[in-house]
Amino acid sequence: MLPDSAGAGNGVQRGRRFPREAIVSLLVLAALWELASRNAAIIGIPPIALPGFARIAQSLAGLTVIDVAVTVARVVGALVLSFLLAVACAVAMYRSVAVERYGYPLVRLLMAVPVISWILFAVLWFRQVEFRIGFVLVAVCGPLFLVDMLASMKGVSKELRDMMRSFRPTAAQFFGKLMLPAILPSVLTSWKINLSLAIRVVTIAELVGAVTGIGHQLSVAQELFSVADVFAWTLILVAVLFLLEAVLNRIEAHVLRWRP
Amino acid sequence: MSGLRIEVKALRKAFRQTVSGSEVLAIDRLDFVIEPGEIAAVVGTTGCGKSTLFDVMIGLDAPTDGQLLIGGSEPYADFDGFRGKIATVFQQDRLLPWRSALDNVCLPLELAGVPEAAQRRRAAEWLERLGLAKFMQAYPHELSGGMRQRVAIARAFVLQPAILLADESFGHLDEVTAAELRDTFVALARECGSTAVLITHQLEEAISVGDRVLVFAKPASVLADIRVSDWPRAGHAELRAAIQSTLQGNCLDPRLEPASVLASAFAPGGALHAGA
Ligand SMILES: Nc1ncnc2c1ncn2[C@@H]1O[C@H](COP(=O)(O)OP(=O)(O)O)[C@@H](O)[C@H]1O
Ligand SMILES: [Mg+2]
Repeated sequence: MLPDSAGAGNGVQRGRRFPREAIVSLLVLAALWELASRNAAIIGIPPIALPGFARIAQSLAGLTVIDVAVTVARVVGALVLSFLLAVACAVAMYRSVAVERYGYPLVRLLMAVPVISWILFAVLWFRQVEFRIGFVLVAVCGPLFLVDMLASMKGVSKELRDMMRSFRPTAAQFFGKLMLPAILPSVLTSWKINLSLAIRVVTIAELVGAVTGIGHQLSVAQELFSVADVFAWTLILVAVLFLLEAVLNRIEAHVLRWRP
Repeated sequence: MSGLRIEVKALRKAFRQTVSGSEVLAIDRLDFVIEPGEIAAVVGTTGCGKSTLFDVMIGLDAPTDGQLLIGGSEPYADFDGFRGKIATVFQQDRLLPWRSALDNVCLPLELAGVPEAAQRRRAAEWLERLGLAKFMQAYPHELSGGMRQRVAIARAFVLQPAILLADESFGHLDEVTAAELRDTFVALARECGSTAVLITHQLEEAISVGDRVLVFAKPASVLADIRVSDWPRAGHAELRAAIQSTLQGNCLDPRLEPASVLASAFAPGGALHAGA
């Protein structure tokens, strides 16, 4: 393993190294694609189905930044909203057995509904685009946040809860100083899972129910039979996901720095 | 804060087992009084209900019957009334792993609403007193077991509580460290004037610490209530043997009867008293 470089030696980057193999794999894949694209006629595929990188670069240059921004804003906004709703519900269910017994089955029911059904409901029920997208994302991500959070709250040891209660905390202190910090590691994991889920769901939702965003642009590309555009938008989506994940990883390294 | 009186009157605590539904008696019938500022050790075999008593004293659990009063009110019924008055050192250190030693000691002060500057100053003072000046910023996983238990002691004392409780707090440490921490705990408790109850299964510990030693039967009731000052040093081996046989037989050893020849011989004025 390579030693930390001087600039990155602040503990956050500990154990990171140059991803040589990953880059090699990606380059090989790109080279194969390019090769296939140039020889499409020989392989017997229409050239339009396998655009070369020159053509894809052209598509990338033509992408509208506003659509990327709209999609990212929808994802982040809906995740924050889902998370806040889930915190409120999880705390209520943790504090009251009755709320949990009545509420939990409903949450499981929501989780069993296929994403595509949520999207169709959203389109049929609501006219307002942002509301449609938000509804779908919150319906899909909220229950996941809630279920994870409730499970990890219940996992907080009785030893620590008793220690805390012996000092007579208020309910807000109990949650703020014990429960939330204790479940933070699993909350961050939930965020990562929900982030990749939300990115995939938002594009389908936009494809069906919106007139802006990456998903909508994908449907436009499909109508124009432009594989290069689809490829370009997909690249952007993957890049956005990796970028947001990197942000979460930085946050995680900071807030969990107490871990051995 | 000076100590409060602990009064236990016909206390009974039964648990219903989750699966079988049958009742387990953890505390049978407890009666005793611990005076303000007194340091009492409670000894008993494993499973005799010591930790159950501890939970009732903290107010985490309600008695099934009878009463446990601290300063005249019930810790369970008047839960919030005891804010800042009770502090505990548990069997394990129970530090919050995401907080530094200093922040762990600040915790009870935060919960009691002490202003932030005062919190840090008082917490730092207590960590210094416990020999941890260099480790204030260390996380629990960076400290040894003994050091973590010191932090836990600092966290209990920082409140200057009226009642200090310890449940087998030193039993898992090596003997040298355990003895050192126990002596520190007792010295600090005397200095604070708190009423302290130390639960232990080690007789040496009980005899060397307590003004009083309460010997528990199983399920918990008081088999013997010994005033250690009645037994001068020379009699400690005998006392230890008598407590041991009491615990083994689950009934009072005759040597501990108030009227026993041995007890009166060791008592002040008796033939075997250290001063005689
Ligand atoms: N929450 C509980 N539910 C059921 N039984 C319990 C519970 N807590 C303790 N007991 C029972 O009460 C008895 C006393 O336990 P405990 O107070 O932990 O003993 P000690 O601390 O003296 O070793 C044991 O028989 C134990 O099984
Ligand atoms: Mg115990």
